[in-house]
Amino acid sequence: MNTSTAVALNKQVAATRRKRFSVTKAIVFLVLGILFVTQVYPLLWLLLYSLKSNEEILSGSFFALPHSPQWANYSAALEGNYFRYLLNSIFVTSVTMIAVIILSSLCAYAISRFRWRFGGAVMVVFLIGMMIPMQATLLPLMIIFKNMHILNTHLSIILPYVAFSMPIAIFILSGFMKTIPHEIEESAVVDGAGIGRIFSSIILPISVPPVMTVCILTFINIWNEYILAATFISSEKLKTLPFGVNSFVSQYSVNYGAIGAFLVLGALPVIIIYFLLADKITQGMVAGAVKG
Amino acid sequence: MNVLKVSRWTIAAFVLPCLIIYIGIVFVPILVSMYSGMLDWNGIGESTFVGLANFKKLLFHDSVFWPSVRRTLMFAVFSMAEIPIALLVAILLKRYVRKPNFLVSSYFLPVILSVVVVGQLWKTIYNPASMGGMLNQILDAVGLHSWGKAWLTDPSVAMYSLYFVALWQYLGYHTLIQFTGISNVPDDVYEAARIDGAEGFKADWHITFPLIVPIFKISIVLAFIGSLQAFDMIMVMTGGGPAHATDVISTHMYNMSFTSMKYGYGSSIAAFLVVLCLAATFCINFIFNKLEKRYS
Repeated sequence: MNTSTAVALNKQVAATRRKRFSVTKAIVFLVLGILFVTQVYPLLWLLLYSLKSNEEILSGSFFALPHSPQWANYSAALEGNYFRYLLNSIFVTSVTMIAVIILSSLCAYAISRFRWRFGGAVMVVFLIGMMIPMQATLLPLMIIFKNMHILNTHLSIILPYVAFSMPIAIFILSGFMKTIPHEIEESAVVDGAGIGRIFSSIILPISVPPVMTVCILTFINIWNEYILAATFISSEKLKTLPFGVNSFVSQYSVNYGAIGAFLVLGALPVIIIYFLLADKITQGMVAGAVKG
Repeated sequence: MNVLKVSRWTIAAFVLPCLIIYIGIVFVPILVSMYSGMLDWNGIGESTFVGLANFKKLLFHDSVFWPSVRRTLMFAVFSMAEIPIALLVAILLKRYVRKPNFLVSSYFLPVILSVVVVGQLWKTIYNPASMGGMLNQILDAVGLHSWGKAWLTDPSVAMYSLYFVALWQYLGYHTLIQFTGISNVPDDVYEAARIDGAEGFKADWHITFPLIVPIFKISIVLAFIGSLQAFDMIMVMTGGGPAHATDVISTHMYNMSFTSMKYGYGSSIAAFLVVLCLAATFCINFIFNKLEKRYS
């Protein structure tokens, strides 16, 4: 008898709770919905904007769909050097990624597995460097590169990109490599494998997951980098995408639709990749933030 | 315990390529800028050694410098003020949304965009209504024409317009980090709390907060670094103008060196920036070491 009243009471409590929750729930979804609009609508607005004619844009109908999509905006944008910028960005980003992965996995391996006195000290050097902002090296690097006569080449941006991507890469990779069981290397040594062989055919293949994280972090950071490229590069045919987009947009001050189109094209590659790899990218960025 | 015994040459081959590039690109320039901060130099011609004169002028006689430091710190403060909002959003997502991944990825979308795209997009949004700016058009449409402003060229609001863009871009990042942190708190902890009578926000106050203190540290470091990266955004959107109203430390450095051609003076600002960053990292670590000790 006691139990049945308890059950009835519980049911009542559950019912009121459900009722209260439905009101709370409505408010919660309203808040989350508003946030969704503020985060995504500006991008959607840009897409609409890029398909409108100047008259439509100036008329103040910011919510309306374009009457007839103005593809001419996109052809105007493509007449700029969009594909040249895109190729430059692909080249610079992939060279940087490859260099970062090779160099920092070698270094991370030495730090996490070799028996030597300065492993900890080398790690500290990289950790201190993590706190130094890239902007602070902008001026001195410019002078150094000018004296080395590599200013206004892709090398002048790839070198700093590689250097500033290394600390986080080494941190992530050495953290992972510490967890690899020692027996694997011991048996490889017994089988007569040299250190280079162990690294290239055992350690690297095991380390694919953290290498992917490093790839994602490096890609997002380098693909989007603007100020270094804008400072060190001056010739039109070497510009990377963000720099190219910015100079195109600043020049085209009256053709609003074409500006919108170029911005959409500038955002497109990274958005496509995000649609394909959203989970991997968010996980990688969290891992990067957590370990940084 | 590191076990592999290898020769010096092997160690050198593994470590040196990385280390040389790193020291050459990161540490050597810092030392160079500490030195050239003591020069009177336009970056090209003759230079004269002036000792600490640049630093003296910077700290005591530069009317742009301290306001720019204040704006840099305000940027960090605003970014940190965003963290509690992100935490609330993360808690709501975790508790009320059955499949939160879609919303989390949508909130995160602005984070992956280049600062050029974000900056130019918001520049377009902030444009006067007569030039197609969305914000002013919306205000006109709802009858608040008098609230309309030249968001980026009016010195009294330009800086706040920039803060807002940074908050907009990074809200998703903080939400994602907090959300991941909350998701890693095991369910049975909340189960146990419910038996003890703590539910809802009460449970958050007593359980979620203490357990994700390390996550706060990450967010705060990120907010601080993010406020330094505001440099790129400001260069894209206003370049420090109108009349220095949106200058932060790094834009001041950039304009001094590349526009006014005072290379030595710019270097002294760069040196100040490095010191500020090291000091801030030290403070954040110190505070959080204390906090973590108290909560563990």
